[in-house]
Amino acid sequence: MPVARSKDIFSRQKPTWCPGCGLYGLLDAMKRAAFSLELDPASIVIVTGIGCHGRFPNYFLSYGFHGLHGRVVPVASGIKIVNPGLKVIGVSGDGDAYSIGLNHLLQAARRNIGLLIIVVNNRVFALTQGQASPTSPRGFISISTPFGTVEPPLDGLKVALGAGATFIARGFSGEVDHLAFLLKSGLKHQGFALIDVLSPCVTYNKINTYDWYRNHIEILSQEDSFPADLSLAWSWLNREDKFVLGVLYARPEKTLEELVLPDREKSIAELELKPEVEKVRLLMEKFK
Amino acid sequence: MEREEQKGKRVEDISILIGGKAGDGVLFTGNILARLLKRYGWWSVTYRDFPSNIRGEGTQYVVRAALKRIENRREGVDILLAFDCEAIKKLAPRLNEGALILCDSADDAALKALESPKVASVAFPLRQPAREKFGQELYKNMMAIGALSYLLGLEISPVEALIKDLFLQRKGQNVVELNLKAIDFGFELGQKLIPADRRWFLPRSNDDDRVILMGDEAIALGALAGGCRFFAAYPICPASEIWQWLAPRIREFGGVVLQVEDELAALNMAIGAAFAGARAMTSTSGPGASLMMEAFSLAGMTEVPVVIAHVQRVGPSTGLPTKTQQGDLLQWVFGSHGEFPRIVLAPGKVEECFSFTVEAFNLAEKFQGPVVILIDLDLGQNLRTAPFPLAETWAIDRGKLLSAQELAGHLPYKRYLITEDGISPRVIPGTPGGIHLAESVEHDETGLRSEDPRVREKMMEKRMRKLSSIYPELPSPRIYGQPEAQTAIIGVGSTRGPILEAINLLEKEIKIKFLQIRTLWPFPSREVSEFLKGVQKLVVVENNFTGQLLTLLRSQINFDPEMKVESLRKYSPDNFTPEEIYRSLKEICL
Repeated sequence: MPVARSKDIFSRQKPTWCPGCGLYGLLDAMKRAAFSLELDPASIVIVTGIGCHGRFPNYFLSYGFHGLHGRVVPVASGIKIVNPGLKVIGVSGDGDAYSIGLNHLLQAARRNIGLLIIVVNNRVFALTQGQASPTSPRGFISISTPFGTVEPPLDGLKVALGAGATFIARGFSGEVDHLAFLLKSGLKHQGFALIDVLSPCVTYNKINTYDWYRNHIEILSQEDSFPADLSLAWSWLNREDKFVLGVLYARPEKTLEELVLPDREKSIAELELKPEVEKVRLLMEKFK
Repeated sequence: MEREEQKGKRVEDISILIGGKAGDGVLFTGNILARLLKRYGWWSVTYRDFPSNIRGEGTQYVVRAALKRIENRREGVDILLAFDCEAIKKLAPRLNEGALILCDSADDAALKALESPKVASVAFPLRQPAREKFGQELYKNMMAIGALSYLLGLEISPVEALIKDLFLQRKGQNVVELNLKAIDFGFELGQKLIPADRRWFLPRSNDDDRVILMGDEAIALGALAGGCRFFAAYPICPASEIWQWLAPRIREFGGVVLQVEDELAALNMAIGAAFAGARAMTSTSGPGASLMMEAFSLAGMTEVPVVIAHVQRVGPSTGLPTKTQQGDLLQWVFGSHGEFPRIVLAPGKVEECFSFTVEAFNLAEKFQGPVVILIDLDLGQNLRTAPFPLAETWAIDRGKLLSAQELAGHLPYKRYLITEDGISPRVIPGTPGGIHLAESVEHDETGLRSEDPRVREKMMEKRMRKLSSIYPELPSPRIYGQPEAQTAIIGVGSTRGPILEAINLLEKEIKIKFLQIRTLWPFPSREVSEFLKGVQKLVVVENNFTGQLLTLLRSQINFDPEMKVESLRKYSPDNFTPEEIYRSLKEICL
């Protein structure tokens, strides 16, 4: 393991997101969280989808997989199952996770696979130049919705909670310290963790700005223990005046890896493959 | 139970059709009969004609057995065992001269209607006596096996041994005995009801340790042998057998099978698992394959070794999920967005289903990309007897996969290093010093995104070069028949069996040769061109409407303008029979 002197051991390249993009806050928070947990960059895999978040692994140094739009969760799941020792982190967007990839997210929550999924929620399709997303506020005027959106926004945390997620949290990329705390908590959680990060898009979302968020958030005062109380979580999620930031729900539960893997000591990725002639021969005998 | 002295018609090839309604145990009965005949030293095969329905609709299952190797059904039927008379009316035209019908029905009128000089029918009660004697209707299936044993003059010892193998471990001695009693009872009923002069006599032969299995099972076993330790899939006919067979068995090999939310997830998960170092696979058919097209391209671009088995069914759209077709040949050869190297293997018999799957994992890791095993329902879901297809051992070759120690010689590490053969050394996540980004966006050697036109060209060339590097290791086409023949057939997959049999039927009339394509992509142009030298008439046989194999041939080969090309296509939901090919070839050639 490299000698960790500062969070900069996780720096790969200088980011080229729009100046002021919420993703800078997430990148910084992630480096802080990983550094304070003394993670080895070689033991982390970041999986991203398509959207401005997709370039996250270009800037955060670790193993990375930049896949297709909406498919962060299945790729990350495949990695985690065959090597549970890795910290597998999915960085996704509101379009990626809550629109095209929503089913994967819910199924992963239901399975309680040990992934940390971070949804950078800027409430707009930014990389494709500003169409409304499933989390855009009602009435959102964009190039794809010139008369304003008519659908109410989707709250990914609500549906994930309904699907059985064992850890849900909400952060704000303008509150980097708090976000780093949430990321650390999510990384420590055994099982599926979803963090929705409210993240201003300075180019395409002129409504949900940093200032707007500062007036619309309330940060829970939390340390290391979190409530496993569904009605409390639900009441926080249903607050109409404010987004409640913090770990809204967390409970320990056996993970998919624990339940399905035949060998908890040695991962599938580490198996030394050989032809297994005798075992195969025995199986073939059954067809006689 | 005593077997009387064997007498009856001696044949070397017999077809038995079991008909009934879905839920009658037609498949179960046919499978036992096929296994029994295999153990009797006959080459037995089955052919299923099922509705996409669990109960109620008419369903038929053919068991054909012969003393010589066969791989497919024939048109005619010698024995029809019907659990209901509806089946008979529909199936009567397929009966051979001298055929016998056994029908479990009180409806003798229906039987009478079928009386003809060439066919005899016997009212053969099964359901009711099964209920009365054994308390459960399902014993009718074993009674049917007993009746057929009498009818075919089979010895009892293989029957007993088979029932023990099937039930002793899972269900216990009591169940074995009840089943044997039902078989005896069916045998005795046969003695009473079946006229002695209507019997056949199948001589016992040596089964040489042969096996009988479905292509789907052979693929699943090939996956275990080839080191597959991660498998994700979504239920779909006719590919589910692959993972259902694997699911209870892969744990012992240290692996895992997951049923996932859809085919998008299945292939993406397999890609994630393969990226992380497992040998990973998925299987699908029809609409599921369309969903996988997206991630197929991802595997090509990120250079992840993953294996996909596709068992073709009738399309388009939902099509006919329980019927066979070869309508997706070009989907895997040319499908998905963008251009990337892929390998498409096309087994034509069960041994190839096994060995090509073992090899698919080596090929995938050696060339670092997606490998498709493309078969069809006929090969995937029907039973076929095959020589025990296990070599002493086989290789697991992981290609340029670097261990942590080997990585030391490759620093600073570049995941997409441009090399002469196009294949870059690979490391898996977790390896110290090997940190990299697998990138679906066009990228440079390090994996970082790049829009530089020169980089794009170089990387495209690097990826596509891998196909020429791996080409010599792919299964090359097999040639059968008379090498100097001027009439030639080309086919792929499960048409192999009926084509070979048709050639045998034609041998005396026409000099003919047959080339079985075994790798659809990269296309074996050299070998096919060589085969076509001097050929004056080419017949391309395939199970689809548009002639996809011929389209592929035309796109990859310069046909001699003098050569006459015929396309023999079948898009009804059945494979060809040898007789159909025989008749068509005669028409074309004589």
